[in-house]
Amino acid sequence: MNQLIVSTAPHVKTARTTKTIMLDVLIALAPATIAGCVLFGWQALVLILISLASAFLTEFVWYIIQNKVWQGGKEVVNAFFKQFDFTSLITGLLLALIIPANIDAWYMPLLGSIFAVGVVKMLFGGTGRNIMNPALMGRIFLFISFAAMTAYPDPNFGALFESNGSLMTGATSLTSGLAGEGTLSALDLLLGTGVAGCIGETCKIALLAGGVYLCVRGVIKWYLPLIYIAVTGLFAVALEGFDFTQFLPSILSGGLILGAIFMATDYVTTPKSKLGNIIYFVLLGLLTAGLRKATGIEVVSFCIVLMNLVVFLLDAAIKARPFGFHKEKKVKADTAKEGK
Amino acid sequence: MKAIKGKFFSRGIHLRDMKSLSSAAPVEQLAGVTEAVIPLSQHIGKPAVCIVEPGQQVKRGQLIAKADGYVSANVHASVAGTVKAVEERADGRGGKVRCVVIESDGSDATDFMAPLPENADGAAIAARIAEAGIVGMGGAGFPTHVKVKPAVKVDTLILNGAECEPYLTCDHRIMLERTDEIVRGAQYLAKAVGVDKIVIGIELNKPDAIAAFEKTPLNVVALKKQYPMGSEKHLIYVCTGRKVPLGKLPADAGVIVQNVATALAVCEAVEQGKPLIERVVTVSGKGVETPKNLRAPLGAPLSALAAQCSVKDDAVKFVLGGPMTGSALTGLCGSVTKTTSGLLFMTADETNADEPTPCINCGRCADVCPMKLMPMQTEFYTNAKDYAKADQYGGVLACIECGACSYICPAHRPLAQAIKTAKAELRKKK
Repeated sequence: MNQLIVSTAPHVKTARTTKTIMLDVLIALAPATIAGCVLFGWQALVLILISLASAFLTEFVWYIIQNKVWQGGKEVVNAFFKQFDFTSLITGLLLALIIPANIDAWYMPLLGSIFAVGVVKMLFGGTGRNIMNPALMGRIFLFISFAAMTAYPDPNFGALFESNGSLMTGATSLTSGLAGEGTLSALDLLLGTGVAGCIGETCKIALLAGGVYLCVRGVIKWYLPLIYIAVTGLFAVALEGFDFTQFLPSILSGGLILGAIFMATDYVTTPKSKLGNIIYFVLLGLLTAGLRKATGIEVVSFCIVLMNLVVFLLDAAIKARPFGFHKEKKVKADTAKEGK
Repeated sequence: MKAIKGKFFSRGIHLRDMKSLSSAAPVEQLAGVTEAVIPLSQHIGKPAVCIVEPGQQVKRGQLIAKADGYVSANVHASVAGTVKAVEERADGRGGKVRCVVIESDGSDATDFMAPLPENADGAAIAARIAEAGIVGMGGAGFPTHVKVKPAVKVDTLILNGAECEPYLTCDHRIMLERTDEIVRGAQYLAKAVGVDKIVIGIELNKPDAIAAFEKTPLNVVALKKQYPMGSEKHLIYVCTGRKVPLGKLPADAGVIVQNVATALAVCEAVEQGKPLIERVVTVSGKGVETPKNLRAPLGAPLSALAAQCSVKDDAVKFVLGGPMTGSALTGLCGSVTKTTSGLLFMTADETNADEPTPCINCGRCADVCPMKLMPMQTEFYTNAKDYAKADQYGGVLACIECGACSYICPAHRPLAQAIKTAKAELRKKK
């Protein structure tokens, strides 16, 4: 007879674990990663690998030091692989996808990953405890530290403004579009051909494919990225005096689609309730369109991180309303008044 | 079938029901019961008071313990023989309960009550239900005679044939094999309560049972296969469209819910005068050779059930009841009670028992909670021992303890357990 397991109900559990969810995210990022490598060449691949490796090693080193590897030895290493849930790899990959494919700045993904995983994630307590999205914080860290963050090399396909192969500085289609000199068609923006930008954000069709995969697998809810993208587009249209030609360029440019599907939907940094999530994504859309108009640069990463900080307020404000609650509305209102 | 899709409520989970293991096995009698260990408390409320002495001869169906107060239930001898002892016995769940131990003499001597006349009125039926010691056999064990006398006016009796717990097929089998008796039992119950409308809710994964009841005068409601469909509040909602107000009883929504097994027991008590002394128990799981539905006398040792179905060596978890709400056993001790619906022997890959990992705030627990609570908030604040906040942000007291949150949690966190802890702590303070 085996040793009996005694635990509280329920005695069956879903096969879905944190690991399988995170693996799904990695799979969903594959099309965008491949598209990035195709559009920007081997340089993009090298940067992605640097970023992945440094993100993984940061968590590994952090874990073994935290768990006193000099005492536990091999057991600590085994324990690390047992609990490793791929979140650092997602952070590393996402960070690589939101930096330019500029091989001269190979140190950027390295430093960014170390900052993202070490400071933003592990310092706050690891998986599930980070207050802000690690990959976006890594990007912002690089953005305010290095000028190379805004030097975008040419993609391999499609006509660019200048096709001499030199680095173009500060001219993603969004910034030029915001300045009123956009020349790219919506199809180019969708496929990422001829679009300067970060490694993973230019090929929208690959990102959308990943998004559809995540929705089908039930990792994210389909309406949340949709709310974000639609609100951003519509508010941008409204800000331009209801010029509907602005709709497609504003949703297809910059990092909006990548941000909406992979960044803003990060479980840890979104509200817990359904209502909270809807409010969050609407506010995010308004903020993104508004700040884009006000600053004239791409601000998706800043907007998401700003909204990450509002999550706690939303969670505190929205309370559970149990099934059968409606009959007690009146009583609840009275007690609320007494509380004040 | 009226509705192919079946009626459903929002949220809840969809489980692999595993019922095919035992759903085709007809009910068979449990053999080899030489000793019955009958607990005095098999119901919610005060334990019954023992009225027999060691050494006394008892017949099958004889009263051995009397209800103590209103919310309590009579207990009867389930085998004929000699009372060996009245003592504390381990219940297999880590506790001890006071039991009457009867050594069977192998005879079939019975001492049933006189059958009620056909024209018996509601009060007589209600009194008979109390005499027969009938309690809710779905799992809660609330004394039925208390339930049939609601404080407010009700207009509908719902028979619960949902059986939404995976593995369990005992209700399914009796719905097929004893259809007419269940219908008559329901009619007696309706008479006792004083209602005309009887509805039976059956999940779509039991199409044969739905077909059987469509030939009877009862209104059949086909339910989507969804957990926890058998929860009183949700069954009422899908069958009648009424929501039971928070913190109130089903009677406040004008409904009484009874399990099909309870209806069968009522029929037997009224027509044969037979008290509640046996019930059907599903013995299932991948850890047994031949899953079966056994009719077992109350107090039959669980080891006898296990012996009749031959337990395999790779069973690592023994569960009394369903896999979602039942309790894990510390060993094969304990006995069948009025509320034992199943005895499961689960293998390691069925139980999927992993260590919990950190919460990633995915919100799945809140998405599936049939009561629309926020289990992750409750768990967070319960771990911090801040039970007031756990209730404020999570909503603790409305929890029906269905376990859907723990089931779905990808981090395998014991959410339901945390809610139960918070509930107990909050009740202590009140």
